Formats: sequence, structure tokens, C-alpha cells
Amino acid sequence: MQPIISISHLSKNYGDKTVLNNINLEIFPGQIIGYIGPNGAGKSTTVKILTGIIQDYSGDVIVAGMNLKDNVLEVKKLIGYIPELAELYDLLTPREYLNFIGKLYQLPDDVIEERASRMLDSFGLLSNIDQRMDSFSKGMRQKVLITSGLLHNPSIVILDEPLSGLDANAVILVKELLQVLKQEGKTIFYCSHMMDVVEKVSDRIVLIDKGNIVTNATIEELRSNSGDSLEKIFSRLTSSGDQSQKADEFASAFSNKSSRE
Amino acid sequence: MNKLFLKLVLLPSGLWKGMGADIPQLKAILEAKLKVDDRKPLSFGRPQRQSKPRKYGSFMSMFISFCMGLLYLLPLSLIPDRIISLTLFFSMNIVMLSFMLITDFSTVMFDTKDKFVILPRPVNDKTIFLSRTLHIFIYLFRIILPMALPAWIFLGIADGALSVLLFPIPLLLMVFLVLFLVIGAYMLILRIAGAEKFKDIINYFQIGFTVLIFMFSYFTPRVFESQLFRLPDPANFGWMKFVPSYWLALCWSWIGSPVILPHTQWMSVLAIILPIVFVWFTAKFLAPSFAKSIGAMDVVEAAPQGKKVRSGKAGSFYKKLSSLFNKDGASQAGFNMAWVQTGRSRTFKMRVYPMFAYAPVFFVYTLISNRDVSLADTWKNMVSKPYYLQLLYLSIITVMQALNYLSFTDQYKAAWVYYAAPLDKPGRVMAGAFKAVWIKYFMPFFTIITIFILWAWGLNVWMDVLLAMVNMLLFSVIMMRISLRNFPFSIMEQMNNSLNRVLKTLSTLLIPGLLGVAHYLTVAAYNMLWLKILFFALSSILLWLVWDSYSNTSWAAMRRLEEEA
Repeated sequence: MQPIISISHLSKNYGDKTVLNNINLEIFPGQIIGYIGPNGAGKSTTVKILTGIIQDYSGDVIVAGMNLKDNVLEVKKLIGYIPELAELYDLLTPREYLNFIGKLYQLPDDVIEERASRMLDSFGLLSNIDQRMDSFSKGMRQKVLITSGLLHNPSIVILDEPLSGLDANAVILVKELLQVLKQEGKTIFYCSHMMDVVEKVSDRIVLIDKGNIVTNATIEELRSNSGDSLEKIFSRLTSSGDQSQKADEFASAFSNKSSRE
Repeated sequence: MNKLFLKLVLLPSGLWKGMGADIPQLKAILEAKLKVDDRKPLSFGRPQRQSKPRKYGSFMSMFISFCMGLLYLLPLSLIPDRIISLTLFFSMNIVMLSFMLITDFSTVMFDTKDKFVILPRPVNDKTIFLSRTLHIFIYLFRIILPMALPAWIFLGIADGALSVLLFPIPLLLMVFLVLFLVIGAYMLILRIAGAEKFKDIINYFQIGFTVLIFMFSYFTPRVFESQLFRLPDPANFGWMKFVPSYWLALCWSWIGSPVILPHTQWMSVLAIILPIVFVWFTAKFLAPSFAKSIGAMDVVEAAPQGKKVRSGKAGSFYKKLSSLFNKDGASQAGFNMAWVQTGRSRTFKMRVYPMFAYAPVFFVYTLISNRDVSLADTWKNMVSKPYYLQLLYLSIITVMQALNYLSFTDQYKAAWVYYAAPLDKPGRVMAGAFKAVWIKYFMPFFTIITIFILWAWGLNVWMDVLLAMVNMLLFSVIMMRISLRNFPFSIMEQMNNSLNRVLKTLSTLLIPGLLGVAHYLTVAAYNMLWLKILFFALSSILLWLVWDSYSNTSWAAMRRLEEEA
């Protein structure tokens, strides 16, 4: 099978700082990839490169057989991106916002209208479709954002912390949605810090730290070595010390040194 | 520079403490805010890049302020009576200051963004209130200081050292007076209207107030005019004793400047007392509920009972226009977005709507400038001359301001969609947004003016109307092409650049002015139809060329622009 995303020797620097250091990764269609790593590991940069937002990098990114550098527009059409924070124009209503997004993807009005109302309906937001989003809660905004990312029926879905701000019911809905999208053959690139969710939904886990891929394996393969949870594995691979000891040290900051001694 | 200003505003910390503020907290908040201002990213996609130190930028804006200050020398050098000339000087400054306060700085005062940072901490209302007020004060002072410098130097040369020593005192008093007057008025409205409705009400208040300032700034000099250059006759200036700028000017009586209005010298005391009274009043009665009000603004987590937007006929009207004027999806997206967003963004409305009053006010002003003749004569006089050209070319002001502010938003981060979407040419979205603004803000205004002109001057001026329209369209597109190639609502607005922007707008007005003059020459000097048609054809061709380049703006061009910035 041909990989749908193939990243080779991908590097990115900001000035002297190397954010991505020779990343090589192949992703196959219909997979859910859990892309995890500590803060500042280079996750967002990878996502921004894949979505065509950042275009000055070195190395090659091939998406569906096309080189990203030469076919940015074609690749963008295949990708649905749902960013981390609910950054949207909240003076618009969901209907207006989704129409705006749909038009940027060159969708016809009736298609936008139908998809938007059906998708929002399943999120329980249909009654809010003509309300300005400035009064919306974080979770409601996130639902609109998820809808906007899927509106053009992308074959690759990139989600950056999609569950932030969602209530428990919506979290279940999104998790179910991921499975349905996978069954439809879509490839899902899932970035998150919530290890328990990543553990449950992902086919493969890619762990990145300091701009390098540390691990690329299925959860079973990871577990076969130690039997630990993903959280523990994550901590072992990316942290320099014992977290509980660090917590103790943190709390002991309240007492002054002389009294401790 | 920031440190110096910080020291300056904390100089009367005894006073602030007396008002109930916590000085170390106040200092910490101000320090943080000033730092944040200096480091704000400019637009989406650029925050990572280490920005160049902006020392040059702030020097530039100071230089521009200085040049504007030269303009203020006019009354000082032309009017022989020192106190009257200073009255005019302070009046000009007060108008300028209140205009900036109302249009640019009120958003700082009632900013709700840091409410989760500061409100949960043990910081009292008065400290929060003062931190915002003084933050604004620092910015005002940064502008006003270089602006007042020419006058300061002038007074030194003309009146000697005493005047130089005195000058900063009334200047500071003036800034305090205006600052606390405007902010006090806002807080009063906040008290009466309540936090939820405040931002809607304030918007219309700002628009109304700006129009008033326009009118004031145009009509005041007229009142002076007849007596300006002679030694003034006290009888004509009796009303002046009610004007605060006169009280400020009276401070010069302390160093021996003659007071021509009898029994008014004591009023200089008012210049000192009034700011103190304002400070005291706002602190005592208005500031105590400040944090509560800020906290109640923009409550996001409230039950979503937000404004329902009509999706019926009114909603579909702009969409019809959109598909009528735009062929591709990207332009339609830009059009729809600009149409809806401009009608709802409070900052946009506040900056742009007052400009609608500008053209009529200016026109009425030119009409009644020769006050000696009767109204009927004025009308006759007007219709006999091509005054309509002035009216036509003035109407550009409405759309200029709208176009200028089209790219600015607090939610610049939401602009990521433009970069993630498969946009062939960014110019398409921009072109759509441009059309929306043009159709929404310019055409209705222009139509009314055209009807008025055709009624007053007769139908035979139709060619002039057409020519003026093409010229203004040409000018707007040139302006967009040269300096405003950005996605709609994608750039963070920066407070420190507000003056530069005002001046940039004013200076770009030169071009429509020149086009207007050229138009006037073809009308007044020759008034030949074929000449106008030729002019029209030339402008149209040029328009087509510039439009083509603007609406085809590529990603490569966008990146070049970002690198240059």
C-alpha cells in the first residue's frame, strides 16, 4: 500500500533554534495516528507544515503522491484542519462562518448549507445556527470548528487537541466520530496531550521529543516491552527524572531551607 | 523610554495612594502592560519571528508628532495676545486629544481580555481603574510631548525663560483634564447603562461625540477669525471665560501676560482645581464598581441566548449582491465576511461611522464660510459654481476609513483559515472584501449625494458625477494595492501606531485631492464634454490595470510584503 503521507528528512529552524530535526514518517490511509510529545517538541510545527501554513522547511513532504511544496493548493483541498484553540470570527453566526469557510474551499452554497446544518444538528447546535458565536461557550465554539474542518469532506483530518473544552458527552461523540471517519477510509492525524484518549483511539503512536521522533509503534508494541500505560511510557521516554520526586520538590518550595534542614 | 514615563506617572503616587490604589501592584500592572504593548505580534503567522527592535518606529511617530506640533504654532505666532493665542492652542490640543481618546483608547479602558489575569487576584477596583487610566496617559503623553515641543521652543524664544518653566504645568493639567473628563463620562454611562448594554450604547455615544468634535473643530476658528489678527476687543470674547482652554491659558497671567477680559484672572485656579475634582470624582464615585463592571462584560460562559440574526430576507440580500458581483467562491467568501463583520464589529463601527458625518459637516462649513450674505444668496452662489465637485470628492472619506480598518481585528488569530484553505490567490478574497465595503459604505452615500447634486445643479453635470466616481474608485484601489494588501480582519491593531495611521490616512487624501483638482480644471477652465470623456476613459483604463494587479495578488507577493514589514 502507498502511504498517504510520507515525510522524509523534514527539518525546520527558527533562527538558531531547531524545532524539527530530520523527521521521517510514513502514514497509511485509514489509520489514526496519535501524535504526541511534550510541550515544545515540534508537534504544532509539524501540523502547520502539513496544513500548508508554514512553507519554508527543508526535506520532503509527499501527500497522496504530491509534493507539498509544489502542490500546496491541491494538498490543502485534501486536508481538514481543526486547530487547538477555538480561534474563529465569533461575530459571525455558525451558518455565516461555515458559509465563509465553505466558500474558501469552493463548495457550492447548497452543499455548504446542507452539510453545515446536518453536522451541527448532530452536535446539538442546530438551534444556535443563527446566533452570534460571541455568546458561545468554549465547547460550542469547538464544535463549530470541528464542523468547519470537516465541511469539505477531507480525506486527511488533522486534529490538534480537539477535545479541549468539550463536555463528556461531546467527547464521546468525537471519539465515535473518529472511528466512523476511519471506517470511511479517512486518515486521521491526532495531536493531543490526553494520553488515555490517544491510547484508546490511535492505531499507531508517534512520539516526538525535541524535534526528533522517539517512537513510532502501535500501542501493543509499546506495551509489550514494559506493560505500562501510555502515560508512563511517555514520561519515561521524554522526561529526565521522576515526576513524583519533582512534585515533592515543588511543594517543598513553601518551606524555607533552614527549617527543612 | 517606558521606564521614564512609568516614573513620571508614579510621581504623584501619594495622590494615587490617597485614592485607594496599591502602588506596588499598580507599578507591576503598568510595567507588564507596557512590555506587552512593545511585543505584540503584528499578524497571524508572524508571531514566531523575532521582531526587530522598534526604536526607529517610535522615533518616527515622535517626529510626525513634532511636525504636527509645528501646525499648532500658527495661533501662537499669528495672534498678538498671548492668552488668547494660548487659548486657541489648548483648544486645538484638547480637540485632538479627546478625538484620540474616544476613537482609539476607549478599547484599552474597557478591555476585557485580561480579566482572567487580574480580576481573580487580590487587586482592588481603584488599582485596576488607575492602571488603565495611567496606561492611556502614558500613550497620550508620548504623543503630546513631541507635539508640544515646537510651541515650547517658540514660547522660550518669544517670551523668555519663565514661559519655558511654566509650560509643562498647564500641559499636564490639560492632559489630566481631558483624560478624566472623557473617562469619567464613560464610567458614568457604564453606571447608568449597565455592563451588558454598555458596549452597544458607548458605540453610538462615540459616533455622536466624534461628529460633535468635528463640528467644533471646524466652526471654532470661524468665531475667532474676524478679530484674530487685530488687538482683540474684550467685548467680543466674553464667552471665552466659560471655556476650559481659556483657564489653562490664564496660567500665563502668573508670569505677567496681560489679561484682556476683566475680572477673570482668578479663573486660572480653575485650571488646577478642575482636573483634581475630576480625578477625585471618578475615583470616589465611579471607580469603585469598575472591576465588577469589567467582569460582567463579555460574559462568554453565559447561557447562549445571544443575538439571533435574521436569516430571512435581510440575510439573503447581501448574499445576492455577493453572487452578483463575485464569480468565484473565494471572492464571495471575502465579500460575505466583510459585509457581515463590518456591521457587527464595534471597533470597526466606531472608527468608521463618524466619518459619514465628516463630508456633510465639511460641506456645510464651506457653504456658510461667508457669513455676511443671506442664506438665499449663499445658495445662489453655491449653485453657480462647481461646488458639487467638492462634495463628490469629499465622499471618498467615508470609504477610506472603512478600507483602512478592514484588515484590523482583535481576533487576528482566527485568520489561520486563509492559510489553511486551498486559496489560489489571496487577492481574490481581498477583492471580494473590497467590493463589499465599497457597495455597503460608499454607494448609498454617493447615491444620496448624486441625487442632491442633480437636483441642485441640474442634470447636465452627470458626466462629472461619473468621472468623480471612477476617479475615486481608482484612488481607492491604488491605495489598497500599495499599502493595504491584507486579508480582511487578519491584523492586530497596535495602539502605538494610531497617530501614524491617522496621518497616513490624511496624507493619502492628497491623491483624491489632486484628482479633484484635475477634474476641476477640466470643468472650470474648459468645461468640454469630450475632455471629460477622455479623462474618464484614461481613469477607467488605469483602474482596470490596477484592479487586475490587486485582485490577482499572489501568495508570493503576500510573503514578500510580510518580510518587508
